[in-house]
Amino acid sequence: MKNRKDIVYGVYSEEHDIIEAVREARSRGMEIYDVYSPMPIHGLDPVLGLKESRLHIAGFIYGLLGTLTAFLGMTWIFTKDWPIIFGGKPYWAVPSFIPITFELTVLFAAIGMTVSFYVVSGMGFGVDNDVLDERISDDKFCLAFDNAEVEADEAKQFLRANNAEEILEKTLKA
Amino acid sequence: MNRFEFSGKLKTVLLVGIVIGLLSLIVEYFVVGDELHSQFWGDIILNNSYFMGMALMALFALSAFIAAWAGWYSVFKRLFEAFNAFLIPGAVIIFIVALGNYFGWHHLYLWNDAEHVAHDEVLQGKSAFLNKNTFMIMTLLFVGVWLLYRYKLRSLSLLEDAGVKGDYSAHQKMRNWAGTFLPIAGYSSALLIWLWLMSIEPHWYSTMYAWYTASSWFVGVLSVMIIVLVYLRGKGYFELVTKEHLHDMGKFLFAFSIFWSYLFFDQYMLIWFGNVGEETVHFKVQQGEFPVIFYTILILNFIVPFLGLMINTAKKSNVVLVVIAVLTFIGHWLDMWLNVKPFVGEATAEFTGIHEHISHYPSLPEIGVMIGFLSLFLFVTFKCLSNAPLVGENDPYLEESIHHHS
Repeated sequence: MKNRKDIVYGVYSEEHDIIEAVREARSRGMEIYDVYSPMPIHGLDPVLGLKESRLHIAGFIYGLLGTLTAFLGMTWIFTKDWPIIFGGKPYWAVPSFIPITFELTVLFAAIGMTVSFYVVSGMGFGVDNDVLDERISDDKFCLAFDNAEVEADEAKQFLRANNAEEILEKTLKA
Repeated sequence: MNRFEFSGKLKTVLLVGIVIGLLSLIVEYFVVGDELHSQFWGDIILNNSYFMGMALMALFALSAFIAAWAGWYSVFKRLFEAFNAFLIPGAVIIFIVALGNYFGWHHLYLWNDAEHVAHDEVLQGKSAFLNKNTFMIMTLLFVGVWLLYRYKLRSLSLLEDAGVKGDYSAHQKMRNWAGTFLPIAGYSSALLIWLWLMSIEPHWYSTMYAWYTASSWFVGVLSVMIIVLVYLRGKGYFELVTKEHLHDMGKFLFAFSIFWSYLFFDQYMLIWFGNVGEETVHFKVQQGEFPVIFYTILILNFIVPFLGLMINTAKKSNVVLVVIAVLTFIGHWLDMWLNVKPFVGEATAEFTGIHEHISHYPSLPEIGVMIGFLSLFLFVTFKCLSNAPLVGENDPYLEESIHHHS
């Protein structure tokens, strides 16, 4: 397997221009390597034909785990392990468990989803990812084609015809 | 179709609903009620507060959107404008209730009874706020202010329609009115909730009560609005409203249901943990004597929208949205019922010495009155909707709204 990718990419300043270009490329059946953007572009996902992320399903499961951990944990501690009466309330005082159950649900869901997202996207501490163009973290949008999938000349011609401001090439460590 | 045609079957159905409501009120006054007619007056204050509150929250939401420069709702902003039309009939009805305080037409409020207050130290202490003059003045003043803002925002919006495209002077004025309405609505709704609803149980108070009731109203109006929006789209109106707009309405319903649950739980847990007799009496009645309704409310208003609307696709599905909106609407009406009727019964028992009229479930006439008020609410709403084009062509945010993605 080749561990380098030769990329041809076009730089855009306007969201709607890049959405139009993506739509055009998809209608021609061209394989898009990736679209880079400094922020989420509303309506880009369906145009790119991306499936809905399953991250939130994972989030629900993490949250449920947090709920159960907190609720069952407190139930066990306050009824079996170390029963103490607080303020004349019963050992199994459900309303007073709810705030902590809520907090742990949020905590588990937040940490679980963050870690999952980092693992799935191949990001994290010590990982050195090659950046296509530094301006994608500022104010530019990029539409990239992989030379293995789309001929470099075809890609350049397409980008020129579809309002790309600059057309550049780069080799990425895959 | 840019103009809503209010006629035919819909009008007939709503008129029948209003007649059912009137008949139920007559039955409550002459047939089933006690000699003080508390059933009758209790239902009037309950339903009038609920539907008037919903109308106020529609106006409040509209003002918040205008003040926040929101654009997404612009293609159906007329719905937010029309939904506050009930403020006008509601104002008349609440004025009758306020007059009733003077002339002794009803015995809803224990604090209004001079004989009772004479030997009740707590109510003597509260009499600076809880008296018939405060009730009348604050009701007239604040409802009048709401009506003024409703009139200004509506007429400026129509003025914008009549003006030139690209002339935003009307919108600029709307922004000022909307911005000032936000704090006014916040404080005045709280004061009137204390007077109209919380003072039915005059010995008890809770600082969460006003927000809690207001959030109930907000979810109520969102539910009805979602149902009406889906209905009107099915009839071919509002072609510009897409799944994306409905998705956002679903998000609002989801978010405010959770907001309500948060306030409910805060109020409940603090009183439960504090365990002070004067405060727990409220939940002793609600949870102890009406357990079925109490837990049904929690299921309908928290569990159903929380689990039902969690997934993205559920918020974009007409069927799921409408089913959940119907359930939350019923749930919040039941919540208001449980906050008003048991305590009206308690107050009546103070006067008559008989406890027997406290029914553990809403009776048929009570549901009839609710249907009557709902029909009147929808009637004035549709009437208002048919008075103007459905889409304001000169709205500065119209283009943004048409291309709305979420």
